[in-house]
Amino acid sequence: MRAKNKALSLGAGLLKWTVLLFFLAVALLPLAWLVLNSFKTNLELQASPFSLPARPAFENYANAIAMAELPRLFVNSVLVAVGTVFLNLLVSSMAGFVLAREAWKGRDTVRTVLEAGVLVPIIAFMVPYFTLVTKLGLYDKLYTLILVYAAINIPVSIFLVTSFMRSIPKELEEAAIIDGCGFFQRYSKVILPLSRSGLVTAGTFCFIYAWNEFVMAMLLTSSIHSRTIQLGIRFFTSQFITDYAGMFAAIVLSMLPSVLAYVFLHNKIIAGLTAGAVKG
Amino acid sequence: MKKRRNPNALKIALFLAPVLVLFAAFFAYPFVFTIAASLTKWRGIGAMRFIGFGNFGKLLGDQTFRLAIRNNVVWALASGFVQVPLAVLVALILAREPRGWKVLRTVYFLPNVISTVALAMVWTAMYNPQYGALNGLRELLGLEARNWLGDPATALPAVILQGVLYIGYFMIIILAAAMNIPRELYEAAEIDGATTLQQEFRITLPMLRGSIVTAMTLAMAYGMRHFEATYLMTGGGPAYSTTTMGIDLFLKMDALRYSEASAAGVILIVLGTVVIVGIRRLLGRTDPMAEAGQ
Repeated sequence: MRAKNKALSLGAGLLKWTVLLFFLAVALLPLAWLVLNSFKTNLELQASPFSLPARPAFENYANAIAMAELPRLFVNSVLVAVGTVFLNLLVSSMAGFVLAREAWKGRDTVRTVLEAGVLVPIIAFMVPYFTLVTKLGLYDKLYTLILVYAAINIPVSIFLVTSFMRSIPKELEEAAIIDGCGFFQRYSKVILPLSRSGLVTAGTFCFIYAWNEFVMAMLLTSSIHSRTIQLGIRFFTSQFITDYAGMFAAIVLSMLPSVLAYVFLHNKIIAGLTAGAVKG
Repeated sequence: MKKRRNPNALKIALFLAPVLVLFAAFFAYPFVFTIAASLTKWRGIGAMRFIGFGNFGKLLGDQTFRLAIRNNVVWALASGFVQVPLAVLVALILAREPRGWKVLRTVYFLPNVISTVALAMVWTAMYNPQYGALNGLRELLGLEARNWLGDPATALPAVILQGVLYIGYFMIIILAAAMNIPRELYEAAEIDGATTLQQEFRITLPMLRGSIVTAMTLAMAYGMRHFEATYLMTGGGPAYSTTTMGIDLFLKMDALRYSEASAAGVILIVLGTVVIVGIRRLLGRTDPMAEAGQ
């Protein structure tokens, strides 16, 4: 009986680790293969998909940076992502403040409607987004992407920021009111600083979304002045389609900011996901 | 309950205004616009001419669009009934806190922070018949190389496979819920002599019902709106074998058939809503927003 149980639990442990290692491989091997390939020469790539490079071909990275104005697109992406985070957090924290800390008629309805936005399939709106942006003269502008991305992230941010602000004890605000803080000071001096953690979570989601977004950037921009790195690795590398190694290096470079953000802020991201059904 | 008028009413309106303006411009207006445009004949310039439901008849009679709907349904089923169960399996294992579970949780979610463009390019390369890793594996096993994405027979399964294997997002939602289940329940079951497997089936899964329904609902809703990875990997081909409603919408828009594209958008929204409402009716009422954190 005891031997049977032991065999059973050994089998269960084996099964368990097979599952865990399989999904570890799914998450990491394609990326590892990508990084490996980015250090091989094109000749080595042709020879075998698994061979190690004779020496790391750093020139792939030099070629990637030299090709197709990649640095310009990279800077565009940084501007768009940072701008999105700033604009979204500004408007979401203002709305979150009155949704969480003020009592008024219709508050719960407004909050529910804003949050229900996460269920809307944005890709169904390609036509109105395009026509609206063109009509307003915003086509092919860097700040248009900031505006659109900040707007698309409103439902997620409102959910995260409002929930966080609601959890701040009333006493802290009351003390500030006694000290003579008015409406604006309660927002800027009390609630905003106390919500830092929630804002960082919402901001991280915004950053990763804005850095990775592709469809709207493809739809709403056309020139090098406003295109982002995602469009760059998608379209601009195709000019050099025979240089697969350089393309792999460009992809690795394009992934760095969001991967770095995740490395430093993954606890915030997981906390945010845990707080609600938020698309990562 | 009658609320007194808040003395800060004006300031409240001021603070809400930016969010409401952006929401109106990028959620409410597009919604109304899409429905309105779907009932017209319109090519992006000039006035819209009302034609009723003609665009819908045309779309639903169109072989390609019907194939797109079918492919979205396949995506939804694969996401709801393969991706989510796999996520549940991994979440149940991690909830028992095996060695390194926190690191595993973090790594499983890593692909979710990488752009679809980058992942699609990596997977396109992996499926490549000349230098791809999958054919490299087949050659090691003595099998012939295949053009996975270029063959209508294998393209859809190939694209779906890379999608459903990324379980990180749903795994984290379900894991969080699993770790909220009171430990005492398991301790009591242990004393009663229940095996681990019995505990999972009698305690964990019933307690997770709400979260699993939420995850399935979201997964299937995402399946119905699937666009990006397929567009990037195959463009909907070969021979439309991987096309989806979103891809069809995009191609119609590109061809300046704006009103038909809008009708495709309406169908996409309606079918997505049907999935969300349908699953919740079928498997029990749960509120996705409130449930996930519980």
